[in-house]
Amino acid sequence: MGLAEVNWALVSPLIGIQVILIIIALIDLSKSERTNGPKWMWVLISLFVSIIGPILYFTIGKRHD
Amino acid sequence: MKKWVVLFRKEWLEMSRNYKIIWVPLVFILFGLLQPVTNYYMPDILKNASDLPEGTIIEIPLPSSGEVLAQTLGQFNQMGVLVLVLAFMGIVSAERKSGMIKAILVKPVAYSSYITAKWLSAILLSAASIALGMVASWYYTGLLIDPYPFINLVKGTGLYLGWIVFLLTFTVFLSSRLNSSGLVAVCALLVSILLSLSTSLLGKWMEWSPAQLTTAASSFLVDGRVEGPLFLPLVITGVLVVIFLFLSTTNWQRK
Repeated sequence: MGLAEVNWALVSPLIGIQVILIIIALIDLSKSERTNGPKWMWVLISLFVSIIGPILYFTIGKRHD
Repeated sequence: MKKWVVLFRKEWLEMSRNYKIIWVPLVFILFGLLQPVTNYYMPDILKNASDLPEGTIIEIPLPSSGEVLAQTLGQFNQMGVLVLVLAFMGIVSAERKSGMIKAILVKPVAYSSYITAKWLSAILLSAASIALGMVASWYYTGLLIDPYPFINLVKGTGLYLGWIVFLLTFTVFLSSRLNSSGLVAVCALLVSILLSLSTSLLGKWMEWSPAQLTTAASSFLVDGRVEGPLFLPLVITGVLVVIFLFLSTTNWQRK
């Protein structure tokens, strides 16, 4: 399946949601003082772990106190 | 009542400040959209992922739209429950740890309104997220596979929400009793897994189990009717929700 065959109308909402999640995770990271584990690690995870990266940060990385 | 509304609004303010109000629904919409898409592209995905010899023909029958929606529900029951429990594990315990709870309870508000405001906002956000995720999945399933009657989607999702309300109530209860948020998550997930497992393995003995609602919901989505017990688990789930909510509002730590 080449790039031209990808149905972009179908895939773009998925990418859009993914991008929004990454942006929110990064905004939150820049605001919070401390995270569980080093901050740079969560920046990398949010950016590069596809689909679940930002979710991992929000559920595990974020300090809730 | 007025005080309760203030607490309830504080809860929503809190959830928008830590972006829960955005990311929880988005996660469910993402998983909801992914399920029909992976089903639709499964032959292509398999072709690309494995080193099959040239000329191999993979034929996978496209599942019915009801089956795809039931699979979405299954996905929500694993990843979704994990996300919800982790999102709400600290709902009371984190505020106790940070001392926030003392700052609130020195004001003349009842402990029970404090807990029920938290409980209801967690349930509303989760229910809305799951509903949005199911609608997203339904929309893509309609586009890619076959249109599916919306009313059946609403009924099936409604049944499933019973199980989610039970799990969230249990999470709030644990969070009101335990000091460590991590322990809350572990216990809530363990109970969810054990209940689901025992319900599917020991069907006869577990006809009362709230986890029956997930089985009922997915069989409803596939066939349009519920197989197995429905009335008993609904009643038991309602009773358990009331009991655990009552137990979490009784504050034994202040005595």
